[in-house]
Amino acid sequence: MTAGTSEKEAAGQLLDNLYLDMFHLIEEHTQCRVNLERSNASGAILLARTRFQHGGSNSVSTAQIPTENSAEFNALCRVVDSEDGICVERQAVDKSKGYVEPLHWFSVLPPMSLRHAVSKFKDCIELVAESTNLQRQLGEALDWIAKLRQIALLN
Amino acid sequence: MLKSTIVDPRVRLVPSKKLLEFLDSQKEYLPEVTENLAKIMKQKGFTLPLNIQIIKDKEVVCKRPKIDHPLLKKLTENIKFTSEKPLKNKPDSSKEKDNDEETPNEKKNFLLLSDLHWLNNTLVELRRQDHCQVFLHQLIDTCELILPENELKPRNPELEARCERLRAEQHNRDYLKMTKNVDAGLKHYPEDTISYQIKSLNKQIIAVVQFIFSVAAGFTFGFFGVNLMVGPLPFGFRILLGVIVALIIALAEMYFLAKKLHEYDEVLDAPKRKQQATTPVKRKVVAKPPTEGSQVQTLKPHAD
Repeated sequence: MTAGTSEKEAAGQLLDNLYLDMFHLIEEHTQCRVNLERSNASGAILLARTRFQHGGSNSVSTAQIPTENSAEFNALCRVVDSEDGICVERQAVDKSKGYVEPLHWFSVLPPMSLRHAVSKFKDCIELVAESTNLQRQLGEALDWIAKLRQIALLN
Repeated sequence: MLKSTIVDPRVRLVPSKKLLEFLDSQKEYLPEVTENLAKIMKQKGFTLPLNIQIIKDKEVVCKRPKIDHPLLKKLTENIKFTSEKPLKNKPDSSKEKDNDEETPNEKKNFLLLSDLHWLNNTLVELRRQDHCQVFLHQLIDTCELILPENELKPRNPELEARCERLRAEQHNRDYLKMTKNVDAGLKHYPEDTISYQIKSLNKQIIAVVQFIFSVAAGFTFGFFGVNLMVGPLPFGFRILLGVIVALIIALAEMYFLAKKLHEYDEVLDAPKRKQQATTPVKRKVVAKPPTEGSQVQTLKPHAD
C-alpha cells in the first residue's frame, strides 16, 4: 500500500513537473520567436537603408548573386543535427579552400549598414536553430504528458 | 489587419473555480501566498487569514524542473501510444465549460508561471504533511490556458491611402511605358508641346556637339600645337599625333556622353510623368482623333 502511494506520488510529481516544463518551454519558445522577428525586421530595414543610401537599385541587387554558371564555393554555414538538437556550424572564410565571403559579391568595401544587416541575419539563423530545439523539446514534453496521463495510477 | 509583435510572451492560466476553492479550503495550512494569487482570491470573494505572508512574484524561484527520464520511461513502458484524440478533446471541453462560466470581466485574472511554481511547491509541502493528496495537474486540468498571441492592429488609413496612391502611380507608369511603342499618340504623351521637344532635343544636341568640338580641339592641338612648340615636324607624324590626342579625348568624352544620355533616358521614362497635371487639359482643347482622346480619358483616373 505504501509502495503504491509513493509510486503514485512520484508519478503525480512527474506529471506536475512536466506541465511546468511545458509552460517554461512555451514561454521560451515565444520569446525566441519574438527575438527572431525583431532581428529579421531590423536586418531588412538595414538592407533597405543600404539600397537607399546608394541610390536606386544598382547598389544591392540579385544580379550580383552568383548564378549556376559561376565558380563553385562551399557553404560557410551548416546546420548540424545531433543528439541534443540542432546547431549551426560556421566556417572561417578561406578562399583557398573554397569558402568565399558572400559580402564581397556586392562590393569590395561594403557599407556599414550592409555589414550590420549581415550580422543581424546571422543572428536570425542562430535563433531559428534555438527555436527549433525548443519546439522539439516542447513536442517531446507534450508527448510525455499524453503518455503519462494514460497511466492508471493517476486516474 | 496587421499582426504586431507579441508584447507579453508569458503563459497565462485562467484559474478555475475548483482551484480557488481548493486553495480556500487549504488556507490555514498555507504559510505564504503570491501577490498575484492573493489579488485574484480577493476579487473572487475569498478571504485569506491575516497571518498569511504575501510574497512578491520575483521571490518565487522559477527554474525549469528536472525531469526524471528513467522513471518516466519506466512508467510509460507498457503504454502504447494511442492517438491523441482523447487528450485533445478533453481540454476543449473544459475550455468550453470555463467559457460558459466566466464573464469577460473575470478574464483579467491570470495565474502566471511564478504562481504555478509556488503552487507546485506548496502542494509538495502539503502532500508531505498529509493535509491533502492533490496534484497540480489535477488542479490545472480545468483551467484555461492562454497562449501569447499577436495583437491585431488595423492599418493606418493614412499609410493605406498613400500606398494606394503610390501603387496607382506605379501601375500607370508601367502601363505608359508598355504602350509607348504601340500607340503613336502616347509616344510623346506628356511632352507633346513643340517647345518641350525642342528643349529636350537641344540638351542632347548640345551634348553631342560638345563631344565633337572637344575631339576636334584635341586633334588641332596634336596637329598644330605640338608642331609650334617643338619645331618643324614631318606631316605624317603630325597627323598621327593629332589622331592619338583626339582618340584619348574621344574615349574620355564617350564615357561622359554615355552616362549623360543614359540619364536622359531615365528622366524621360519616369518622373516627368508627374507633371502632367496641366497637360491633359491642353490635350482636350487640341483636336485629336477620337480613339486617342478616349485613351487619355481612361488613363486619367489612374494618374491621380
